[in-house]
Amino acid sequence: MDNAEYQHKVSKLSLRNGQNYSRSLGQAGNLLSSITKRYSTIIASTPYEIVDEDKETNVAKDIIKKINDQIAQSQEGRLFAIVHLAGKQFRITEGDVLVVEGYWPPNCGDKISLDKVLLVGASDFTLIGRPLVQRGLVNIEATVIEKTLSHTKTHFRKKRRKQYKRIHFYKIPQTYLRINTVKVTGELNNPPEVRGLEKAIF
Amino acid sequence: MSNSHLFLKPAFITTPGQNGVGRYFCQLQRVVLKFCKNNGSSRGMREFIENKLIDFVKETPEVAVYMKPRRHRTPIIRAEYLNGDTQWVNARNFTEDEILKWLQLLKTQSSDKTGIRLRKLLHTDHPSVQGPWTPYTFRDPKLNLAEFPSPELAGPHVVETTATEELLEMYKNQQIEDVNEKRAE
Repeated sequence: MDNAEYQHKVSKLSLRNGQNYSRSLGQAGNLLSSITKRYSTIIASTPYEIVDEDKETNVAKDIIKKINDQIAQSQEGRLFAIVHLAGKQFRITEGDVLVVEGYWPPNCGDKISLDKVLLVGASDFTLIGRPLVQRGLVNIEATVIEKTLSHTKTHFRKKRRKQYKRIHFYKIPQTYLRINTVKVTGELNNPPEVRGLEKAIF
Repeated sequence: MSNSHLFLKPAFITTPGQNGVGRYFCQLQRVVLKFCKNNGSSRGMREFIENKLIDFVKETPEVAVYMKPRRHRTPIIRAEYLNGDTQWVNARNFTEDEILKWLQLLKTQSSDKTGIRLRKLLHTDHPSVQGPWTPYTFRDPKLNLAEFPSPELAGPHVVETTATEELLEMYKNQQIEDVNEKRAE
């Protein structure tokens, strides 16, 4: 075997230290190290191991395919999502009612879709956005069912020995939202083509 | 300082008749505007009836609006909801815009909300989809077969390596390098 060919082979085989690897296993690693301490004649496993570079991507592809199949056959069951709405994050599923506090323009009977989705989960899988899941992947629709005011809140200020006392009463506008649908409509890991870039100025 | 806020009735979110699941339905059934025809405190109410009431009624055909003139009494708005609640709003010396605003509020409410404090801002029938978290979630199933007393599990979980282990590691790294050098030759 000449030198160049050998170098080529070595580059394919990544080196990993046996001790390092066992440490990452936690409890098992401790056990292993204690055994090696006790029986010093036992030599740890060979320091070389074959690492398949495509292993992780293959696993990922397999998982994505499974999830896509499950969604295509609509066997994913009940979905929940974490959405960012009016400065707060809500964990929602179908049929939930949530209250948005503060001034918020939508009126009663309006149907709105919630697009800032941080996470979608089913019983078998969880899609975590970085920070948002891909746009168009999840369809979350909600209806505004009520707009009202909160209870009277008291804002009381007092400074001791300064003859200063103020009392204010206020109410916060509240909007009730009914979540109608939480659905995965797009295909996983297959984002739509980026359009509208001709108009954008960079 | 008033203590009325301490004695508010705590409540959870309720929605009448699964409102919004199929479609939204206005929960205000009837509104009665009571006012005086010549008293000054009813001036805003009278102006509202002259200028804005027709538009309001056209916008909301589902609400029945009644008017009840009565002599020398403060104007009020009385609202009746589908769940049987009635709510009074004292409209003394209100301008016509103020009255319109209060009417809009009554229209979008589902019941009399005064004196009720919400305990939670979210209602869900399905609190957990993936199952609630337990201390055993995402743990190694090997722990199920652990036999006690176990010295490994009894002590604190130490992740740091000892100096001896570090030295051993360095020694092994050196050995690997030696092997590599030999093979390269």
